[in-house]
Amino acid sequence: MTAVIRAEKLSKWYGNVLGLSDVSLEIGPGITGLLGPNGAGKSTLMKLLTGQLKPSIGRVTIHGADVWNNMALFADIGFCPEQDAFYDELTGWEFVTRLLSLYGFSRADAASKAERALHFVELFKDKDRPLRGYSRGMRQRLKIAQTVAHEPGILILDEPLNGLDPLSKRKVIRLIKDFRDAGKTVLVSSHVLPEIEALTRSIVLLHQGKILAQGDIPYIRDLIDKHPHKISVKGSDPRALAASLVAQAAVQNIQFGPEPGTVVFETGDRDVLFGLLPRLIVERGIDIEEITSPDDNLQAVFDYLVGT
Amino acid sequence: MKSFARSVRALASFFWFVGRKARRTKVFVLLGALPVLMSLVIQANRLFTPGTSVDGPAVFSNIVMTFNLQFLILVLALFYGTSVCAEELEGKTLTYLTTRPVPKPAIILGKYFAYAAFLILVVAAGVALSFVVLHIDRLGDAASWLVLLRSLGVLALGLLVYTAFFTLVGTVLKKSVLFGLMFSFGWENIVQYFPGATQKFTIMHYLKSLLPAVSTGGEGSFAFLLFKLEPSPPEAAVVTLAVLTAAFLGLACWIFSRKEYLFED
Repeated sequence: MTAVIRAEKLSKWYGNVLGLSDVSLEIGPGITGLLGPNGAGKSTLMKLLTGQLKPSIGRVTIHGADVWNNMALFADIGFCPEQDAFYDELTGWEFVTRLLSLYGFSRADAASKAERALHFVELFKDKDRPLRGYSRGMRQRLKIAQTVAHEPGILILDEPLNGLDPLSKRKVIRLIKDFRDAGKTVLVSSHVLPEIEALTRSIVLLHQGKILAQGDIPYIRDLIDKHPHKISVKGSDPRALAASLVAQAAVQNIQFGPEPGTVVFETGDRDVLFGLLPRLIVERGIDIEEITSPDDNLQAVFDYLVGT
Repeated sequence: MKSFARSVRALASFFWFVGRKARRTKVFVLLGALPVLMSLVIQANRLFTPGTSVDGPAVFSNIVMTFNLQFLILVLALFYGTSVCAEELEGKTLTYLTTRPVPKPAIILGKYFAYAAFLILVVAAGVALSFVVLHIDRLGDAASWLVLLRSLGVLALGLLVYTAFFTLVGTVLKKSVLFGLMFSFGWENIVQYFPGATQKFTIMHYLKSLLPAVSTGGEGSFAFLLFKLEPSPPEAAVVTLAVLTAAFLGLACWIFSRKEYLFED
């Protein structure tokens, strides 16, 4: 991966309060999800990455250049802030075109870029309405319009799905995936696990200002050696299957349920168990409906990592 | 340098547009029109009350001195100057500016110039109209027009320097309006009457030094407000005001470029 954004040993204090501690990460093209509960340091990290805050310790670079007070970089960055804040006296059109004028675009260029961005977020027909009359979903999409209007290569989106209704959420998820398909580097934060799962498999887990893990979900899951992996098998004879595996060293625990016909194996070596299962199933003639890893999702990974 | 100037211009244009649409604009435009209303009332009283005479130039000087110089420009500069930084923080819109490819000092300067231009326009319109109303029977008098120009110049300088000062205050302090009120109606309105060199520590001293009646040593009907004024030479006053404006703005830009601003939830 070619790193577009790089943070090296990044720490940030607000007086005596630690906002971020010793964070190092590299982010390349595609969508990266920044996940963590409220107060984990997501917004602090994003503000450091967009040059709104200066690192107390460490370094943030984009394309190899330091970010703080480096305004030349900002032409290639689109930032969608978390807060629902606007110049409420303006219309949607005025908001986007006037912000575009700060990039030095001519009036005609600003108009054409604003038109494209507003079409993109499906707000063009509402462009002449005052912002104070916009719904929450419209305001969220307008923030995305101002983020992408100047066609940046890097998009940093702080909780872009926050407070949206399901329909608007789907629209915004589709928009973000469009950016990925266009080859852009996208960093999206959220404290809601399914939102990140819907967007990407590549995540950075933040908790109390520190990175707990980063990588794709199965990779992170593999890092958690002290927690056994769960493999759930649903089939015609779960007890026969359990009996055949109970002597295997790779199996640490066996539980039946919660659904009828389901047995859940806990293993310290998932690869060994996945190697054994097909052979035993064939030998015993057990009909199998499904084999799943119930803890191969963000919620489980997150719970393990924060020790809940 | 060219790109910096372009950024300042772009931001000034941005805030001229945003400021024009702001709700408070109407309130301050009305406030700026108060001298016109006062002048109209005075002239109407003269017309409808037989035997009443009005010394137009004297009333005009009083309005400029008591209302415009000692009250209006201070209030306007206070609310607009402190808001250069504070309203972006309170409205949480600062992010939209600091993540654009514009130098941080350009944000301060662009917004300052937009607001200062707007304030000068509001004050100048009110003063010019009130001048016309009060001088309606002597509009051909060239000397009166010179008084108007000089008064407008002093008020414009006052707005520039006070707005710069309050811009600086707004970049440094959270409770900038409270401080500004104490400065305007405490320090500025009291220390200017102190004898000797002390009065030179007020901005108002240099502004009053530029007013026609003061620099000519005359004793107009507003002489009570010039109590113990020991005017500085006009050239020195202009230079001092210009240097103060530049210093306040330079310091505001310097602080804004280095300070991290956090939004309060």
